[in-house]
Amino acid sequence: MARIIARLPRPDDPVRTTALTLLVIAALCAAWFGWSWYSAAHDEELAYSRTREEVLRTGEQAVQNLNTLDYRNIDAGLKVWLDSSTGDLNKQISGSRTSFADKVRQARTVTSARVLESALTELDTRSGKAVIMVALQITVTPQEGKAVTKQSRMLGELTRTRAGWKLSALEPASVGDTGGAPAQ
Amino acid sequence: MPIPHHVLQQRRRGGATLGRDARREAAEPEEPIRPADAESAGEAEEKKPAAASAPGREETEEKKETAPGRVARLRALLDRPVALGVATVLLGAVAAWSAVQADRLRSGSVAENVALTDTALTSEVKGQLGDAVNELFSYRYTDMAKTEQAAKRLLTGKAVQQYQNMMAPIRQQAAEQKLVLTTTVTDSGVRMLSEDRARVLFFVDQRSTRTAKEETTYAGAMLAVDAVKVGDAWKISNIDTLDVPR
Repeated sequence: MARIIARLPRPDDPVRTTALTLLVIAALCAAWFGWSWYSAAHDEELAYSRTREEVLRTGEQAVQNLNTLDYRNIDAGLKVWLDSSTGDLNKQISGSRTSFADKVRQARTVTSARVLESALTELDTRSGKAVIMVALQITVTPQEGKAVTKQSRMLGELTRTRAGWKLSALEPASVGDTGGAPAQ
Repeated sequence: MPIPHHVLQQRRRGGATLGRDARREAAEPEEPIRPADAESAGEAEEKKPAAASAPGREETEEKKETAPGRVARLRALLDRPVALGVATVLLGAVAAWSAVQADRLRSGSVAENVALTDTALTSEVKGQLGDAVNELFSYRYTDMAKTEQAAKRLLTGKAVQQYQNMMAPIRQQAAEQKLVLTTTVTDSGVRMLSEDRARVLFFVDQRSTRTAKEETTYAGAMLAVDAVKVGDAWKISNIDTLDVPR
């Protein structure tokens, strides 16, 4: 580029000099920001952070899904449960599907969940496994009587599938396990 | 914009090669002036050997006219102000677009959050804040000063008052019920982490023993804390009980 400019005739034409200078500046900026974009797009840490957000979002939604069920629409609700899960959890749900649906129909309850806070405690992008902890507020509304709201602490394991990340295990965090060894 | 006159000159020269050559043969004295006529040192060098021998000059000139190299074509393009302008605008657009894309990838909450991404910092913040939670929410009626000192060391900003409000009822009961409260973090996850700020979610077990009544209860609790790094130490700046009634 410099050689070409050096060889250009009449460098004393101010308009031309300005135009060329601007061109060179534009070219340098394009090269600099182009490289910046390329390196950002291929940055492994950034990719990992993006995966973390995606898994967290998916996990939150899946945990919420599995704590939501309306007795008036059980089949659709359980379909969502199955879609949000994979592996053992999925087998468990499909195995107890009929008996569970009967119970909910009899109880006539509407259960809804709201995520208060969540975080991933582990994320292995290579093996496609993650562990999520979710602070959940669950509201159970019976057909008659007052709705009951309670806070729930859920621990879930997520597994990457061809259809995205899904819950492969979900259980409430147990209480009292550490009671025997208090930190003093 | 008018066509710069050096372009016209070149065109004129190109079109009149034959005629000028003929003229040159007739009147040689014109030759020595040519290098001065050239617009740049590069051109002058090219033309010097041509002036030395007539056949050599013929060859160079023919090569220049019939097969202009890439450089020559680029030069011709750069001679056109419109092409210059268009190229500048296009490159500027590429630069701006790339800058926006790079910024979108690098900034924002996702990229600035290094939770789990920075494993060392993640375990540091989990360790320090986990210990802090254990210490702050463990209470022994025989040694209440210990917890109060921990509060001074581990809390900052509005967390100081939040903690006072949370502990006030416990403090009242502590002496009369001979209360021993032990909090143990069972799970912790870093929600947000940057160089000097963090938000961590904790699941804790709380064992409270009322020695006076010889009664021990276990309860699970959850809380999120915001923290800032002061020097080497993480200090809790906000305690979020996640609307759990206490």
